[in-house]
Amino acid sequence: MENTPPVSRFAACSQVFRLTLRRQFFSRQTIVIAVLIGLALAVTVLLSVFLQGERNRAVDHLASRILSRLFVGFLLPIISLAYASSAISAERTGQTLVYLLSTSVPRPLIYLSQYAAVLLLTLGVTLGSLASLCLPFGADGWVTLRVFTPVVTLATTCYVGLFLLFSAWVRRATFLALAYALMIETLTANIPGVVKRITVSFYANSWLYDDSSPLNLNPRIPAYDPVSAATAQWVLGLASIGLVALGMWLFSRKEYD
Amino acid sequence: MTLERPATTESSPLVEVRNASKWFGPLMALNGISLEIGPGITGLVGPNGAGKTTLLKLLTGQSQASLGEIQVCGHDAWLAKAKAHVGFCPYGDATWDELSGRRLVRVTAGLHGFTGAEARRRTESVLETVGMADRADRPVRTYSKGMRQRIKLGQALVHDPDLLVLDEPLNGIDPVGREGLGDLFLRLAKAGKAVLISSHILNEMDHLADHILFVCRGKLLASGSLETIRDVLDDYPLKMRISCAAPRRVAPQLMALESVKSVTVQPPEDLFLEVQNPNRFYAEFGEFATAHDVDVHRLKATDTSAEAVFDYLMERASRPE
Repeated sequence: MENTPPVSRFAACSQVFRLTLRRQFFSRQTIVIAVLIGLALAVTVLLSVFLQGERNRAVDHLASRILSRLFVGFLLPIISLAYASSAISAERTGQTLVYLLSTSVPRPLIYLSQYAAVLLLTLGVTLGSLASLCLPFGADGWVTLRVFTPVVTLATTCYVGLFLLFSAWVRRATFLALAYALMIETLTANIPGVVKRITVSFYANSWLYDDSSPLNLNPRIPAYDPVSAATAQWVLGLASIGLVALGMWLFSRKEYD
Repeated sequence: MTLERPATTESSPLVEVRNASKWFGPLMALNGISLEIGPGITGLVGPNGAGKTTLLKLLTGQSQASLGEIQVCGHDAWLAKAKAHVGFCPYGDATWDELSGRRLVRVTAGLHGFTGAEARRRTESVLETVGMADRADRPVRTYSKGMRQRIKLGQALVHDPDLLVLDEPLNGIDPVGREGLGDLFLRLAKAGKAVLISSHILNEMDHLADHILFVCRGKLLASGSLETIRDVLDDYPLKMRISCAAPRRVAPQLMALESVKSVTVQPPEDLFLEVQNPNRFYAEFGEFATAHDVDVHRLKATDTSAEAVFDYLMERASRPE
């Protein structure tokens, strides 16, 4: 073979991206997520049928109960962790990570490519399911969708950064991510006090509770003390960047067995 | 993939390990190992827990040495630049099983930065080289162990590396498969590649390796050709088998040679000797056979195999210092 073959680092990264996307999409996680979204969709359709004559009540139920509590509070972290926490740890437990680490792609770029792939897939699923939950409510559903879309996008970006970091850090990352999602995100985010400020869902909800939102959503618990939408956006954005940078650093230094 | 000897042969080693040590907490997996690996086949031999896998991980940039330096083609083995020169075929069967063999090799070509026609060309060429071109469209999960090894070898070769690192590549392969893979390793070595084979099948190393690294308890016990290492083990008499006419007549005469320690006759024509100084023996025996008109049918050292040398080295290593 020739001594100076035409190689492209971008092509190598894009191969990592495609491989990760494919392996994550064609996985058991997709089936579990499809079942969960299917159940949420069934509840939403039933709600839209039962409250057919009460348009305002129906939209209020959609925004405050289904989307804010069920989707942002539970489904969003679960979908994100299902894909992100398994991206590296599944390669590790399947003993195939060695093939990625043996290539001439620098480790930080492997991590970044995996992050991009998982983020794209997770955003596709979360935004797609958000749209499908809003659609049965017609024009009001579209208004709700427009409000929730940026919140879900940034929260997903942050969750994927966090759970991919777990994946680079520990072998059984999904267990750690599940414990985090259920104990920290779900429980802590719903109790009064400042501890919830370490959760992603607090900032996502704060954004939704902002006075500028046309949905007029309010916290369900007393003394919730949400931050402004601008603060929430900054925190979520900076946290996403910080988590990805931390993951790249960890992945580039860690020795995997 | 064309396997041709390169026009220029470089004398500098492809791999240089200098005083490399590796700790895992309190456990010292490698202890100050220094070695060089050049073109040709190098066997890495040692018992379980000797540090073979740790050494392979260091060479392929999966781990970093706690102390010392590991250079591959002039680059730190941990860095991506070094990995461009290394093809790694890890131990075990794990691959991306859902892909077809062809797709797996093509993906690996992509991971090395090859695109489009170049990636396709390399994939087809390497599948031809490993003898999998006609079976490459089946999913890897349907492959036998031998086919998996071949496809793993294909992914390791697709970027035409200078150093090929193979962890137990003959494990679980039937004799016919072993012969085929052995021939392939020899062709790669002839093409100027450095092929490092970690194996516990010691008799395969006799046929394949030009150079052997014996490791035990994290240390390099010996390094070199089997003959060279065997010669250095002068506290273990070399065992020779001589087939000749009239062995009973020749046996007492052989005992007169200074280098011969013992002679055992095994009719009809074999003599088994223990020889203290092999080089001296060969010189003395040449003169002896000419002078006494001995009709020698065969002269062969019986304990220069990798297995025998390994046993001697292990015995020597276990002696109290």
